[in-house]
Amino acid sequence: MENKEIYERLNNVFRDVFDDESITVNENTTSDDIEDWDSLEHINLVVAVEQEFGMKFNMNEVTTMKNVGEMVDIIKSRI
Amino acid sequence: MELTTFSFFIFCIVTLIIYFIVPKKIQWVILLISSFIFLFWNNFNASTIIQILIILLSSYIFGILIEKNYNTKKGKYLLILGIVAILCVLIYLKYTNLFLITINHILNFLNIGYRFELVHRNSLIGISYYSLIMIGYLIDIYRGVCKSQKNIFKCALFMSYFPILPSGPFIRYNSIEEDLYGKHKFNFKSFCNGLLRILWGLFKILVISQRLGMFVDTVYGNLSSYTGFYTILAVLFFSLQLYTNFSGSIDIIMGISEILGITLPENFKAPFFSKTITEFWRNWHITLGSWLRDYVFYPLQKSNMIQKLAKKSKQKFGKKIGKKISLYISMLVMWILIGIWHGGKYTFIIGTGLLQFVFIFLEDILSPISNKINKKLNINTDVFSYKLYQCIRTFLLFSFSLIFFRSNSVSQALLIIRNMFDLDLSFILNGNLFKVGLDVLDFMVLIISLICLFIVELLSLSGSVREKLFKQNIVFRWLIIYILLFSIIIFGCYGVGYDPAAFIYRNF
Repeated sequence: MENKEIYERLNNVFRDVFDDESITVNENTTSDDIEDWDSLEHINLVVAVEQEFGMKFNMNEVTTMKNVGEMVDIIKSRI
Repeated sequence: MELTTFSFFIFCIVTLIIYFIVPKKIQWVILLISSFIFLFWNNFNASTIIQILIILLSSYIFGILIEKNYNTKKGKYLLILGIVAILCVLIYLKYTNLFLITINHILNFLNIGYRFELVHRNSLIGISYYSLIMIGYLIDIYRGVCKSQKNIFKCALFMSYFPILPSGPFIRYNSIEEDLYGKHKFNFKSFCNGLLRILWGLFKILVISQRLGMFVDTVYGNLSSYTGFYTILAVLFFSLQLYTNFSGSIDIIMGISEILGITLPENFKAPFFSKTITEFWRNWHITLGSWLRDYVFYPLQKSNMIQKLAKKSKQKFGKKIGKKISLYISMLVMWILIGIWHGGKYTFIIGTGLLQFVFIFLEDILSPISNKINKKLNINTDVFSYKLYQCIRTFLLFSFSLIFFRSNSVSQALLIIRNMFDLDLSFILNGNLFKVGLDVLDFMVLIISLICLFIVELLSLSGSVREKLFKQNIVFRWLIIYILLFSIIIFGCYGVGYDPAAFIYRNF
């Protein structure tokens, strides 16, 4: 799957989870850039991404992912 | 051995001297010996040896076995076994009475006359810390975050590293491994930095916390005599007492570690500047929060059970509310655990557990309403006055919850809450305020020290205060250091029978 397609699908997931149609993520996007992305919403986001791409993050990845770029790298390695 | 005692001071100096004299490759051995001396200080007997052995051997053996069975079902079972072994020791030592009290309440409710007698367990200092730290270690090996430690003595040092035993912070193996077993040269800058932090910690504990404690203890020790404003003041003072004591201890611990060349994670970030309780807990006991987030909250939220519940509640109540229901359930579990971790008493479970959950829950569901009200009334929320109001509100809510934390029983906490409303303004005129453990001079010292604390905390929000101080001219720098040192010597409260503060400044 191309990076472009992954980011497009990720944008939809982010917009849906955080209820904000204006969100557009890139590889450098972090939780600081999205107001509602805190530790409580983080898991909801992770689960939504897992459902979208039909893959699973392990707990180590869940707790150490630093930005969307790392998330995309993991997604690419699993699908 | 308390952090502010002379014996601890000597213990640290001896450790530091030997640590920097011996060949660098055995520095960790010195730390291990010091840590075990600290651990068993005044408490060396068969029971405490067995406790340590069970936790150490469980962590060591299961750590290696989990690593060998990485990514297998067997690995998962081994992890569960390891966690259960450590938890059994912790529960036996710290929570037996909580079970017995609960059973006694049930028996009372059922009108059965029999009561279980409460027991006394002799546990070692820091058990609540190192048991959870070792559980985290096993989970990290299971998740592939770190490798297991094959040398049992090195594993023992990770478990018992003495500075963190009295009050944390929680450490993680992968972040501390290199520092803990590495070679460290004596570094004068780290020494000065560490010493300054230790001084600041001593100032917080001896000048502020102990002094506040005298007032708080007097009021809490005589609830029938002190009501109204005395109670309100004691409740507010206790928050500050707890913060200065806890964060002061952490400052001493971080300072010692810095001199040793071992970096520990920060545990506080100016919590009283938080605008909500949610934000407050991100800045208070940070390492406990992150431990529970990574090892309890995330796995629970991601578990099949909670995910199924989230799916069902989304179908029934819609996406927004449905998502929140599963979140609140996980949060409730986590807050109850935080309460239980603070101690095996219902007062802790209510004060640092359930009440915090209720506050965060209310903040979450009421914030859209309060945003609407603010918009309708044209209240500017982006100004200093509104932020100040939010900080004060958070402080008051936290102080209220600590009534339970400080009380001996739930009924005493309820009595204190009732006493707070028994207002009598006569204390302003009759001068009785200065007879509640603290006199006029004590109050003056307190006010000035709290202003200093406030300024330092405010400065810390924009970067390290010590770095800022070290950038100043030499005269100003040393002036501040001397003022800090002499205020600890002159105004420090060193306990009954040894009170240089009383001896020196009261005679002027």
